[in-house]
This record gives sequence, C-alpha cells and structure tokens, in this order.
Amino acid sequence: MTHNAVVVGGNRTPFAKAGGPFAQASNHDLLTAALDGLVARFGLAGERIGEVAAGAVLKHPKDFNLTREAVLSSALSPATPACDLQQACGTGLETTIYIANKIRLGQIESGIAGGVDSTSDAPITVSDPLRRTLLKANSARSAMDRIKPFASVRPSHLKPQAPSVTEPRTGLSMGEHQALTTERWGISREEQDELAAASHHHLAAAWDDGFFDDLVTPYLRVAGDAILRADTSVEKLAKLRPAFGGEHGTMTAGNSTALSDGAATALLASEEWAAAHHMPVLAKVVDAEVAAVDHPGGDDLLLGPVAAAGRMLERQGLTLDDFDLIEIHEAFASTVLTTLKAWDDEDYCRGLGLDGKLGTIDRARLNVTGSSLAVGHPFAATGARIVPTLAKLLHQRGAGSKGLISMCAAGGQGVVAILEAV
Amino acid sequence: MSVPPAAGAADRPVQHLDAMPGMAAAFARALAPSRRDEARLPRHAVQVSGYRQDPARLAEYSRVCGFTLRDHVPPTWLHVLTFPLHVHVLGDRSSTVRLAGAVHVSNSMTLHRPVGVQESLDIAVHAQNLRPHRRGALVDLVGTITVAGDVVWEGVSTYLASGMSTPGEPEEAERPPWEPLVPHATWRLPGDLGRRYRRVSHDPNPIHTSRIAAKAFGFARPIIHGMWTHARALAALENRLPASYRVHVDFLKPILLPGPVGFASTAREHAIDATVTSRDGSRPLLRLQVTEAP
Repeated sequence: MTHNAVVVGGNRTPFAKAGGPFAQASNHDLLTAALDGLVARFGLAGERIGEVAAGAVLKHPKDFNLTREAVLSSALSPATPACDLQQACGTGLETTIYIANKIRLGQIESGIAGGVDSTSDAPITVSDPLRRTLLKANSARSAMDRIKPFASVRPSHLKPQAPSVTEPRTGLSMGEHQALTTERWGISREEQDELAAASHHHLAAAWDDGFFDDLVTPYLRVAGDAILRADTSVEKLAKLRPAFGGEHGTMTAGNSTALSDGAATALLASEEWAAAHHMPVLAKVVDAEVAAVDHPGGDDLLLGPVAAAGRMLERQGLTLDDFDLIEIHEAFASTVLTTLKAWDDEDYCRGLGLDGKLGTIDRARLNVTGSSLAVGHPFAATGARIVPTLAKLLHQRGAGSKGLISMCAAGGQGVVAILEAV
Repeated sequence: MSVPPAAGAADRPVQHLDAMPGMAAAFARALAPSRRDEARLPRHAVQVSGYRQDPARLAEYSRVCGFTLRDHVPPTWLHVLTFPLHVHVLGDRSSTVRLAGAVHVSNSMTLHRPVGVQESLDIAVHAQNLRPHRRGALVDLVGTITVAGDVVWEGVSTYLASGMSTPGEPEEAERPPWEPLVPHATWRLPGDLGRRYRRVSHDPNPIHTSRIAAKAFGFARPIIHGMWTHARALAALENRLPASYRVHVDFLKPILLPGPVGFASTAREHAIDATVTSRDGSRPLLRLQVTEAP
C-alpha cells in the first residue's frame, strides 16, 4: 500500500556567518531551536512523530546520536525516534527522501527531515599519528607499555586538526575543484557575479514580502538571514579579489558560499495524517535520485546532480519545461552555471548514459527567493531549507505546479528531487 | 515549603545601583567572623535597572549546567543574575547576617512567562522573614525581575545563618518521608566543575573550588554549588517544562567533588518531582518539585 508523502511546512533558524551571532551555539542547540520552532508552528508539543531524520556534516564524536538528543530536548514526545543521516551537502535533501519514502511505504505517517551545521563549533581532533598513539597506550596492559608508544610522538603530531572541506582523494578543496570546473566550462566572472547579485536581491525581496515569516523562527537575537546583503550589486561584487583559481580566477568570496551556522527542518506526512491533524498540505514528494561522478578520475566534482536529474526525468517522462520552478543549490555561482550548461550539452549528457541533453530553462524560474549565496550554507541544513521553501512557492502557484531541486555534494555526489503542489 | 515572595513592599526604601556590584570584596569581608550573634537584616531593597544579559555567558552557563541554548533563558539563570544583589544586601552595615558561611537550605522560583535573552531586566532584591531555626536563624532573600513593569520572575532563597539568633520559637520543619529509590541516571561530576560553574555564576565562594577552603568549613573536598545541582536537575526536565511554572528545591546534603550522584524524576498530573541522590539512590541530596505557576 502506498501513500502520498506531502510537505506540511518547515522551520529553520536564520542562517549566519561562521563565528558570528551563533558562534556559541552547538549543533545540538541549533537543531533543537529549529525543532522547537517547528513544534510551536504546527502545535506538535507532546506529539509522537513517526521519525525524525537529520544530520550534520561537521560532527563531534559525542554527538553520535545528535538528532535523537535534539528530539529529547525539544517539546516532541520523548517516544519520537530519530536517526542521524549524512550525505555531505545533500544531507537535508537526503533526510527528506528517507522520511518521504517511509511515509510512502506506510511505515510511518509523519516525519521530520532536517539538517544542521555549525562551522563555528566544528570539532577539533588530534592528528592521526597522535590518535593512534593514544589508542595504543589506552589498550596497553602494563605501565611500561602505556608509556612506550609516546616515544614516537613528534611535535608536529601535537597540532590540533581542524576539519577541512578538502576532498580526501584529490587533496583539493571544494573551491579549488570548482575553479577547475569553472575554467573547463568557460564560465565568466560577470555571469557569476550576476547570479550572486540576483540571489541576494531575490532573498531580500522575499524577506520584504514576509515570505519567510512562516518558515524561519528568530534565534539568539537574530531575526533574519545575517549573510544577506540586500544592497549588493554586480559592480560591488566585481571589486572582490579572486578566492579560488589563482590570481586570474573568477571565483570570489562574493560568488562562493560563506561558511555558515544554522539548522533547518521540514515536516512531512501522509495526506491522511495531515488531514486528520488539520495541517496544511503544500506539495507532495514525487521522486528523487542520487548520482555520483568519478572526481578522482578527473570528473567535475560538483556536477553529480546532472546524471541524477537526467535519470529521474527520464523515469518520470518529464522535461525541464514541465517545471514551474527550479532550485539549484548555489554552492558556488559557477556550480549553478555549469549545471545549466551541462544540462544543455548533448555530448556531456550522452556521456552520462542519458538519452540526450536535458535542455535549457527560463532563468526567471530559477531560485526565485534566492539561494545559498545569499542565505548561507550550513552544509547539512540547506536541503531542509530548500524543501519547505519550494513547497510553499509551488503551493502559491496552484495544484499541479512542479518543482525540481538539484544539490551537489562532496565526494562527487548529487541529490535531486521533484515536488508537486497538491 | 517557603513563604511566597512579597515583591517589594510599598514602604521599603530602594537603593538604586548603576551597575551589578562585584562580589569578591563582599566575600572577603564576609569571611571575617561576625561578632554579633543577634541576626538583623537591612530593610531596604537594592535594584539594578536595564540589565542587559550576556548571550556568551548564557551559552557557557547552559553548557556547564546541561541546558540547550535557547532564546528563552532558564529560571536558574535569572537567579544567578540576582545573586550579586543577595551579597550586596547582606553586605550592608545594617546586616549582621553574612552570606559566606550561611547555608542555602531551600529555593523557590516562579517563572511567570518565558524570558528572552534579548530582554532588558530590572532586578531587585531584599531580605525578609527572619525566623528562628534550631541551629540558628533563617532568612529569605527575595529577588524580583521585571520587564517594562511586568513581573516575569520571582525567587526566594532561604539561607540558614548558623549560630545566629532571633526571637521566637523555631518551627518544626517537617521532612517528607524518604524511600530509597533506583536512580535512572548517573551524573559524574568532574573535579573542575566548581571552577567551571564559578566562571558562569561569578560566585567567588572558595568552598566550591578550593580543598583548603572546603576543609575550613568542615568538608573533605570542595562541594558543588547547590544552584548548579538545581540547574542540572531542571535541565534534565527541559522537554517537560511548561511556559510558566514554579520550581522549589530543598538542598538536603552537600555534594563533594569529584563524584557520581544519582538522579530520578517522576511526572505526575500537575507536577514533576525530581531527586538528586547518592549514586545508589539510598540518600537524598536535593529534592526538586515543578508545579504550575500560581
């Protein structure tokens, strides 16, 4: 027996720059804040939800049960189970897919998908050689055996290790990878700055319209997205120095996402549960797909979503023209631009095993309330930010409106999904 | 049970302070033994207006006590903000009761509505209700926090001034019966907990951090601040607390650092009972009850 999994709504904290107003808040604090706001908005206090799935990319070992612990701190019934799930920057969308699938299969009737990241409270660990030494000493049986391993410790081993967003197999940061892609696909500085400026302007307009009033709850004196620069312009962005790709690079701090802190949640349910609880119903989750590219073999790291979208559209018999709205996660402005170019590239798409190119889109349908460049990108939270945002936008356009979400993730992965207003 | 707070009697003179007073000097003064044995209290209240809460200190307080960092602050945090005024009131010349050396025996507070970290607070404290006890004199320090004229929080801290006297016959304190229980949690209190709590509470009392000071007061090791234990117990109930409530605690036995303690709680229809016990649950150390706000 299958059901429709529908998006009821969402709640997130405002997003802010790392080291900013949420510097003292842990992943637990942020995720609990997002859950608290969701509980308040939909009257879920004391409610047993089928399951809560969330995750964080930068996670402390002590947070092995991060989501369950946040549930226990929230006003949800303590009988609400939870799991941690992580797929790099795709986490918040992957948790949505996980919850939606369980609802569709009738295993649960309601669920919360979420994600959180605090780059301010990132775990610092010891170096690998020191860690191995400590483990060896810990398992030693005699006092002498316990001391012996420390003879091999070198001063360099004592340096604390901050997490980095470097690909383990290539040694390149995400920005460095994307700089190669930007160059290869011939994406200009101007196009990137235009997309970044549009993201800020769209987000600012949406805040001015009150669009986020039922999607965001203020936290720690922050009422709105703190990274947003409503007054930025292509001219201002053009003055920034390159951050990736060397001195002639086109990627800057302005057209790349900032390290951010924040948490987001989405409430999903079966249509039956939503009706029984007198909940609004915004959009159903139609389909989803994940894909990956061989970036250690030289593929473009952040173009994983192209194959994912192509396979999902073929399966659904849909084309890009069928979508009223398209959300492409703005890891970098050039990620969005290369994704659009790749969708329209016959050879590239056939190389992925697709029947042909996906085609072009009307840019007026893209990221209409801004995206990660302006909002910020707390890695695992972004997917759970996009899902309720898009669901609300589709609902405003009327039943049957379709939306496509495309997210790139570390490890050459891509996560995509289709929502349709009900 | 303690006496309900009578917020600032109308005829009580109020001393307005420009800023929250420091506590170190007052404590040093208070360590000198008082020559008087008749307990006397100052009549006036002290008040600090427009107090701005420090979110970074709240975050550290939450970490130390086990609270999730939220927009709405724990009531025990509001107590911590009133504490310098407790010291200040009893540090007055007209007071013969000294806070250092006095034993915090019970505490009641009422959160009338959720209080935000961004709210600017008017904080007032006065001493009242001096009464005899078989080991000395009991005194209530009453804190009131208002926001734009509305009382949002009230607290009554009852201290025992050992060896001091005040006219009257001591009331027979009735201890509720105690049945050993099986704790459903063990908290392992680390040796540096007193120091960590001092950083966020700003309470300089060395009995919580120094072995020598603790010995001087008859304890083998430093003891954790009662208000930490209170806060930790409340934090363990954080998902069950309503928007407004009253919480009462009785501090029954000091908790030595480092060491493990047990914890158990029971939710009833209109109340939550919680107990911090010895690790095996045989002895009660702190009893807490949350009830609906009056």
